[in-house]
Amino acid sequence: MQDPLVIAGRSFRSRLITGTGKYDSFETMRDAVVASACELVTVAVRRLDLDSPGEDITSFLPDEILLLPNTAGSETADEAVRIARLARAGGLPNWIKLEVIPDPRYLLPDPVETLKAAAQLVEEGFTVLPYVQPDPVLQKRLEEVGCAAVMPLASPIGSGRGMKLRDAIRIMVEQAEVPLVVDAGLGAPSHAAEALELGADAVLVNTAIARAGDPVAMAGAFRLAVEAGRAAFLAGTIAQQETAEPSSPVAGVVR
Amino acid sequence: MKVLVNGRELELGGDATVARLLETLEFAGSYALVERNGEPVERARYSQVELAEGDTLVVARPVAGG
Repeated sequence: MQDPLVIAGRSFRSRLITGTGKYDSFETMRDAVVASACELVTVAVRRLDLDSPGEDITSFLPDEILLLPNTAGSETADEAVRIARLARAGGLPNWIKLEVIPDPRYLLPDPVETLKAAAQLVEEGFTVLPYVQPDPVLQKRLEEVGCAAVMPLASPIGSGRGMKLRDAIRIMVEQAEVPLVVDAGLGAPSHAAEALELGADAVLVNTAIARAGDPVAMAGAFRLAVEAGRAAFLAGTIAQQETAEPSSPVAGVVR
Repeated sequence: MKVLVNGRELELGGDATVARLLETLEFAGSYALVERNGEPVERARYSQVELAEGDTLVVARPVAGG
C-alpha cells in the first residue's frame, strides 16, 4: 500500500473518514460511503426503540469497513466511558471516537472531561480517537495518555464553515506524534483539500456529504479532494509572497 | 418475572437469559448492546447470563451518527 494512513498499527488506503448521520436513507448512505472509498465510518450508539426498532444500519455497510462507534450524547467522562464499554461488550470494535460535548449551541467538546475519559479508555485497552478543539497543548496531553489519533474541529459541527481554526491546526500538524484528523465543520471538498495540503493526516466528513444536493456525487468529490490535498502536501506547495513574479522570461520581449 | 428494559416493564419467563430477552424483543440487528444493572454484558455471554426479578436493562444498538 502506497502512502497509507496508519492509525494504531492499522493501515488505510483512504484518508477520508465519513460519518453515517443525517442521510435521507440508509441506501443513500451506503452509496455515498462506497463512492467516498472510505474504510472507516462512525456510528452512534442509542437505546433501542422497543416500539419501532427500525433497520440495522450496519447491514447497509460493506463488510470490509471498520466501524468507529462514537460517544455522542455524553456530556461527562463517565457517560462517554459507559457508552464505549457498552459498545465493545456488544461486539463493536474497540476503537472509539471519543466526544464529550456539554454545549448544545456550538457543540464544542469539553477538554477536561475528554482527557479524563481518554486516559481511562486507553487504560482499558480501547483505541481512542478524541474529538477536540484545536488546542496544541491538549493534543500533547492526549498523546501522552496514549490516544491513537487526535481529531481537532475545523469549525463547529455541521456549520460547513471550513478551516476557520487553521492557525491552531497548523501548529498541531507541526508537532503531531499520532495522526491528526480534522473533524467537523468542513463544508466543501476545497476545505478538505486545504486540511490535507496543510499536512493533516486525514479528515472526517459527515454533514457536507449527507446534506449535499447529491450526496453520492459529493462523496466522490470529497474523495478526489482528499487525494489531491494529500498529493499536494507530499509534492510541497510553494511559499507565498506579497508581490508578483513573472512566469515568462523578462528578457527578449518583442515590442 | 418482571424486568425493566429501556424504562419499560416487561414480563419474562422464569429462566430468561439476555439472549432470550433479545428474542422476545425480536431484535434482528447484528449488534445488540446490553447493559444489566449498570454493567455491560459481553456478547459471548448473552445465552448464559440469567436475568433476575427487578433487573434493569439497557438494550442499545449502533445508529447513524457522525
